[in-house]
Amino acid sequence: MSVASILDRPSIKRNPVGRALTSTWGARITFYVMFLVFWQLLAMNVARVPAPLETFEFIWTELTWGDHPGVRDGEWVEHLSVTFVRFSIGLALGVLAGVIVGIAVGSSRFMRSLLSDVLLVFLALPAIIWAFLTVMWFGLGWKAPVFTVMLSAAPFVAVNISHGVRAVSPELHRMSDAFGVPRNRRFRSLLMPAIAGYLFTGLRFAFIIGWNAVLLAEWFGAANGVGWRSRLWYDGARYEGFVGWVIIFITIIFLVDGLILTPLQNRAFRWRKSGAAGIELVEMDHAGFEEGRAVRGA
Amino acid sequence: MATLQIENLTKTFPSHSKGEEPVRAIQGISFEMSGQVFVSVVGPSGCGKSTLLNIVSGVDTPSSGTVAVTQDGKPAVLGYVFQDPRLLPWRTVMQNMLYVSDLPEDEGRENAKRYLEMVGLEGAEGMWPGQLSGGMQQRVGIARAFSVHPDLLLMDEPFSHLDAITARSLREELQTLWEATKKTVLFVTHDVAEAVQLSNRIITLAHGGTVFDDTAIDLPFPRRASDPEFAAQQAEILGRFETMEAERAEATG
Repeated sequence: MSVASILDRPSIKRNPVGRALTSTWGARITFYVMFLVFWQLLAMNVARVPAPLETFEFIWTELTWGDHPGVRDGEWVEHLSVTFVRFSIGLALGVLAGVIVGIAVGSSRFMRSLLSDVLLVFLALPAIIWAFLTVMWFGLGWKAPVFTVMLSAAPFVAVNISHGVRAVSPELHRMSDAFGVPRNRRFRSLLMPAIAGYLFTGLRFAFIIGWNAVLLAEWFGAANGVGWRSRLWYDGARYEGFVGWVIIFITIIFLVDGLILTPLQNRAFRWRKSGAAGIELVEMDHAGFEEGRAVRGA
Repeated sequence: MATLQIENLTKTFPSHSKGEEPVRAIQGISFEMSGQVFVSVVGPSGCGKSTLLNIVSGVDTPSSGTVAVTQDGKPAVLGYVFQDPRLLPWRTVMQNMLYVSDLPEDEGRENAKRYLEMVGLEGAEGMWPGQLSGGMQQRVGIARAFSVHPDLLLMDEPFSHLDAITARSLREELQTLWEATKKTVLFVTHDVAEAVQLSNRIITLAHGGTVFDDTAIDLPFPRRASDPEFAAQQAEILGRFETMEAERAEATG
């Protein structure tokens, strides 16, 4: 084999078209195309399934403040922002509660015995139960969605954090003991970074579950917001509106995950980019993710 | 002046299963060291070397006997170098140094820089531990231990995980660092040659955790393994250990 042909070989991979087709993006695009075809076929053969084009037309009208036939103006900014505020407050409270409970359960055998069954019950309760209960307790308004989000999200954070706390290297604890490192510095520089991987896994679940929860709670217990807006179209038997809103809130999950959570995670794990010390912890994080998924399934 | 006094120290670990004898890691060790000395504790694995160091550092407690580390009558500041570097992987080299520092931020930085320079790591302050080789990571560990201005510096086989060539150059650096700072050092190793190269005094432990031998090494620094006196000293310590083992095997045999 000549030197030139050896040098040529990598150029196949450098070819932009070849790379695009074999990349993860290529696979994703294939999926979306197939999904759209499947949806179109479904809509053509089943009543009460809106066609893709019809649905995208609806989304366009909604997002451009257009008038829907029969229903005046798309107030999507108002509904989205109301939902977002509820969701953010609920998620913040849920994460805070989850971190506190998770650290307590992870670091104390007593707390673990005391709370592990309670945590399992909370994990097993679907968001819809919280939506019904909170509407029962607080009536219509902002409280039901906020507390539904908090109560649905907290246990996922707590369970992941407690696993993280228990996985902190005992060697690093002994090192800190030997040098007499004060508690608050140990919390900031040893405990928190060590559990960051678990925290992000927990956050992702909390985010997705919390978002579902806020929509459910609004569906049953609010007079505005994304959930309420979806129900409006559903109750009016306008399925393209219902499906349109489903697509809008799925898109939001993708956007927040890609624009906020992923960059945050990359920043927290800058130290992993190079060298051997990181590999072990990436695997640990992966284990945390698997655990989180197992928990999600429970 | 830092003083370490160990009197009749014993350490027994509970047995793992019922009916088994408890494990006696250390049985009645006594010795004293003070001032600008580099003392090595050598012995075969399982003779209680690391347990001894853990008790001196306060990470572990003695079953009986006393351990006192004092600096002019007051409790002493300790520094510790472990077998592995034990750096926080998510903190830079500088942040790792500051993690153990009690000084105000600016002073802590100056101080850390000085010790990093002493181990040849100037310019590495902003790097992550994962970007450094094993030897460089252990250098940070050594700089960290010196940077807290310890009255007594404890070192637990700090070079045993490194390749022979890296270990050799780190030994030389440690020796220079010790001559510059004249700290009181208690150094644990299973490597007699390493002990002979670095120490003023070598305490040998036998299996079962008893002091078997206590020898002063008066060779001038820097010491070279090729020096006949070095080899003689090493052979003498190993020879005494072999004789003791042989006699004991005969007695129990």
